[in-house]
Amino acid sequence: MQGGSTGIGYGLKYQARCISDVKADTDHTSFLAATLSLKEENEVHLIRLSSDGNELICEGLFSHPNEIWDLASCPFDQRIFSTVFSSGESYGAAVWQIPELYGQLNSPQLERIASLDGHDSKIRSVLWWPTGRHDKLISIDEQNLLLWSLDTSKKTAQVQTKESAGMLHYLSGGAWDPHDVNAVAITCDSSIQFWDLRSMTKTNSIEHAHVRNLDYDMKKKYTLVTADDEFGIHIWDTRMLNFPFLELPGHAHWTWTVKCNPEIEGLILSAGTDSAVNLWLASPPNGDHLTSESLESPTRQVDPLLNSYTDYEDSVYGLAWSSRQPWIFASLSYDGRVVVESVKSHLPRK
Amino acid sequence: MNNNIVGMEANMEQLLDKIISVQSRSDGVNTSLFEKREHIEKLHRTRNLLRKVQFIYDLPTRLGKCIRSEAYADAVRFYIGAMPIFKAYGDSSFQDCKRASEEAVGIITKNLQGKVFSDSESIQARAEAVMLLKQLNFPVENLKVKLFEKLEQFLVDLHLESKEIAHVSATLDGPNNHGNVTDPASSAAHESSIHEFAEAIRAYRVIFPDSEQQLVRLAQDLVNMHFEAVHRHIKKQLQSEDLLEMLRVIWSDVLLMDEVLPEAAISDFSLVAARNAVKEYVASTFSHLLLGITGTIMKVQDRQKVGVEEEYPLQSVLEASKKAVIQGCMNVLLDFRQLLDEKLELSLKLRDLTIDWVQEGFQEFFRKLNERFLFLSGKSNSGSQDLSLTQGVQGEKVLPGLVLLLAQLSLFIEQSAIPRITEEIASSFSSGGARGYEYGPAFIPAVICRTFRAAGEKCLDHYVRLRTQKISVLLRKRFTTPNWVKHKEPREVHMFVDLLLQEFEAIRGEVKQILPPELSRKHHRTDSNGSTTSSRSNPLRDDRMNRSNTQRARSQLLETHLAKLFKQKVEIFTKIEFTQESVVTTILKLCLKSLQEFVRLQTFNRRGFQQIQLDIEFLRTTLKDTSEDEAATDFLLDEVVVAAAERCLDPVPLDQPILDKLIQVKVAKTSEQNLNP
Repeated sequence: MQGGSTGIGYGLKYQARCISDVKADTDHTSFLAATLSLKEENEVHLIRLSSDGNELICEGLFSHPNEIWDLASCPFDQRIFSTVFSSGESYGAAVWQIPELYGQLNSPQLERIASLDGHDSKIRSVLWWPTGRHDKLISIDEQNLLLWSLDTSKKTAQVQTKESAGMLHYLSGGAWDPHDVNAVAITCDSSIQFWDLRSMTKTNSIEHAHVRNLDYDMKKKYTLVTADDEFGIHIWDTRMLNFPFLELPGHAHWTWTVKCNPEIEGLILSAGTDSAVNLWLASPPNGDHLTSESLESPTRQVDPLLNSYTDYEDSVYGLAWSSRQPWIFASLSYDGRVVVESVKSHLPRK
Repeated sequence: MNNNIVGMEANMEQLLDKIISVQSRSDGVNTSLFEKREHIEKLHRTRNLLRKVQFIYDLPTRLGKCIRSEAYADAVRFYIGAMPIFKAYGDSSFQDCKRASEEAVGIITKNLQGKVFSDSESIQARAEAVMLLKQLNFPVENLKVKLFEKLEQFLVDLHLESKEIAHVSATLDGPNNHGNVTDPASSAAHESSIHEFAEAIRAYRVIFPDSEQQLVRLAQDLVNMHFEAVHRHIKKQLQSEDLLEMLRVIWSDVLLMDEVLPEAAISDFSLVAARNAVKEYVASTFSHLLLGITGTIMKVQDRQKVGVEEEYPLQSVLEASKKAVIQGCMNVLLDFRQLLDEKLELSLKLRDLTIDWVQEGFQEFFRKLNERFLFLSGKSNSGSQDLSLTQGVQGEKVLPGLVLLLAQLSLFIEQSAIPRITEEIASSFSSGGARGYEYGPAFIPAVICRTFRAAGEKCLDHYVRLRTQKISVLLRKRFTTPNWVKHKEPREVHMFVDLLLQEFEAIRGEVKQILPPELSRKHHRTDSNGSTTSSRSNPLRDDRMNRSNTQRARSQLLETHLAKLFKQKVEIFTKIEFTQESVVTTILKLCLKSLQEFVRLQTFNRRGFQQIQLDIEFLRTTLKDTSEDEAATDFLLDEVVVAAAERCLDPVPLDQPILDKLIQVKVAKTSEQNLNP
């Protein structure tokens, strides 16, 4: 497999875990990346891919009070994003706004629009309404699911509902269903839970332990992709939860995160602690899925792995597709290196 | 002269007168006698009539006489002769007589029927009896129906008999005496009944000339029953020898049928049936083989359940499974060869087909075996699974040891079993060709080898994942439970290290039983627990191992040069080999990597960091012997400590003397525990 020669690199100062596509920026392909440092001053970088696509430019650099464990960009305002942060013992989450004329300021400060207080255990993740301008926001801590109503102009955030998932579940993250805005899938210690936001109740679950991360297929309804510590990637049909309909081998060590391409059905990126990013094309199983595995036609089976990007020096935790240029993705390894790559050359010709 | 002539004329006239007077006189006599003659003729007719009446009156006695002398043909003739009179006067003058003779005829009919049904009578006699009955206007059709019913019943009884044979063979089912399925007595009985049946058919053809179709049907029934019995036997599992024995019996019956009933073309009919039977037999033999092998493998799980303490349970099951595969396949081949070697016409006709079936059978068998392996290893529970299959194992967790065993068994099949079977098939089952050239041979060893190599690698990979997952659970608990920011001063090595080491001990125990040691370390191996697959007998593996050794040597060289720089990726995630060391080392490396990842997710105070430092240092001393790749292990252990330091608010390491002391205490404690368990 070819290494990172195709990728465009960018270095953060410290170790880092999260990167997000700035979806609301329709003029540029830009990403937000945040550092994770216990002792140093943490930063949020606004990174833009130059128009010729050969360079990553730092558009903005903002200091952030604590180390950042999760970051998500607002889908309707490119200057707004959320972070989940911690300082040793305490955890917090907030919605921030980048100052308007940040380019002209010397040391621009992030403006805290709202603090998502009200959590009594470790906050894990903040989810924005999947598309368009909407005031809803979800924050997940180890035990609870909170639905917020955010007013960006008044700069307030109010808890609409708060529901406990039970003490021993240890929620760890989630994904908002882009096809059904009332549905959220949440990962926890021993299962994947499906919640209905109208009633704030758990509607269903998959008993499947140690899921690190999950993502809905943007193009195909009812399709959920999960990443697992030991057993790679599973693709589920949310109407039939007994078995995943497809398994992909994932990574040599843990598969940390999965991201579905916003435009191409079945195109999945995964990042792992084996310092690699894998590009998969999960072809939907046809009727003779089982027979195609039979002895008669070993050649007919197509390898779902399109490419493996291995030019990383540490575990890769951050991964984001560009929604503006859906063949481009950004990855972030623990050593703080952002690499932007194009998958175009690996896509099967039609 | 003239006088004479004149005198003659006068004489002539006189003569004429005389003649005329004679004529008139005779006419007179005639008329006077006419009445008398009339009378005499009337009397004669009366006499005849009286004689007939006499006959009618005598008929009952006469019939009785006939019955006594069994002259049924006469009796029937008499009776039929008397019929018109009975018809005319039966209701009046001869009422009694008619009744009596009807009674007699009743007896005759009964006797005739008895004769028809009696097998001891000659066919001719029985055919005659039927003819007579027919003349008596007896409903012969009913008789025929009854007779055929009887014949059918006979067939059913025959079939019962063959069931008994089956029973006998089942009880004798020991592997040694399967030869005499049909003991002489019962086979003789069968022969005689078949002869009887054939005779009956021969007879009925004569007796009921229009009954051919029914007879053909009956003959086919006979064949069908035979093959049904074969089918039942196949279901219960039987050997080729037994099958052949049954086919032989069938064939001899068929030949007999052909003789008496050539129109039925029973031999063609039975050829079709035999074709199906042999095909079924081949298929069922393979499915039994599959069951046998699966059963042997599953003993691992059973033993675990029962809790049988054995020193090397996995190893013994592996050996048993290998034997089950190779021995099973060889037996099957040997068995099928008997089918081919048989000189029976039936078998000869099926020879080419049989070869194809065997080849196809093997192909299908290995495909199924592979599926079964993947299923047992818990890998293929996705998608549309056969529910009946899933229920068995689904509930229980898959044992890692079983997965490892399957991995090695797959390798064995790829490297030893398939080549041997290929050889065997090439030597005895090659000239099939009923399949047609465009399809090529049915048995494609290369494809199977590829499949099993893939399966072996998949299983080995799965084993490693299962094992690392188990350790991950342990590590997860260790790292998510305590509050690391408020950790207390480390006093001793944490308990999780013991659990971790226990897990590795278990893995080593399993791996040692199943996998061969690496060649470079061969001298470590004791003969008592080594695997029997001698690497010498297997040039393929030798080759591969040599290659991996040079690779290893090269990578070690590289490693010393690159020191602790970027070799992490090169070293940690290497391809797993089918050796003890490779598997243990791979699992160890993956687990240490997991340890690092868990550490990275926490935040530590100084004490927490020191605890990690202590635990890791202890692991370093104990894991030395576990890993073949010491450099990578060391590197990973360092990485854990580095990760803990990075995630620590105040990373001040423990002083070396304290560290040493705590480790010494732990080492002493461990060895003490080992001494007195």
